[in-house]
Amino acid sequence: MPSAALSKPVKYAGRAYLIEIVATTALYVAAVLVRPWLAGHAATPALAAAAKVLPALPIWLTLWVVWRYYRRIDEFEQLKMLKTTAVAFGASSCLIVTYSFLADAGLPPLALTWAWPTIAVSWAITNAILSIVEHNEK
Amino acid sequence: MKNNLPHLRGERGLTQAQLADALNVSRQTINAIETGRYDPSLPLAFAIAGVFNRRIEEIFLP
Repeated sequence: MPSAALSKPVKYAGRAYLIEIVATTALYVAAVLVRPWLAGHAATPALAAAAKVLPALPIWLTLWVVWRYYRRIDEFEQLKMLKTTAVAFGASSCLIVTYSFLADAGLPPLALTWAWPTIAVSWAITNAILSIVEHNEK
Repeated sequence: MKNNLPHLRGERGLTQAQLADALNVSRQTINAIETGRYDPSLPLAFAIAGVFNRRIEEIFLP
């Protein structure tokens, strides 16, 4: 057997993921912070547009980090992760649609850049809830 | 699916963490299998059987 996911040491997956996700999050925050300055000081309109898109790069990097984590963990952890992701996707979708109605009712409209933090927070909360549920099932 | 993994593990004097290391899975996975919350895939079941030198049906019961 062992599948590709089981051929590497599973017990180090969490630590590696933590290091990589902190690094990509730091890159995202840095990109968001320097974005206005870079766009304002760009020599050409094309460079200004590139500067404005800059935070998207760490987001794609984050997806790669999550995929790497998925490949490192074992089958049970993969199942839990997929379950968490599915529920978080549903919760994020509901939150985003709900807020769009609230914005229509008078709340300030939010930029699309809020989508990523919303998804990340939904995922973290879902993970915590499912972990508690599973702990109580023991 | 029921199993006698805790009994076999006890016979060998293995902790959940040691068995998890031998199978390259997390300790939580071993715990989930032992408590019947998770049924392992066939490849993992074969690997478990290999660790204890038993047939799958001697470890996992319908």
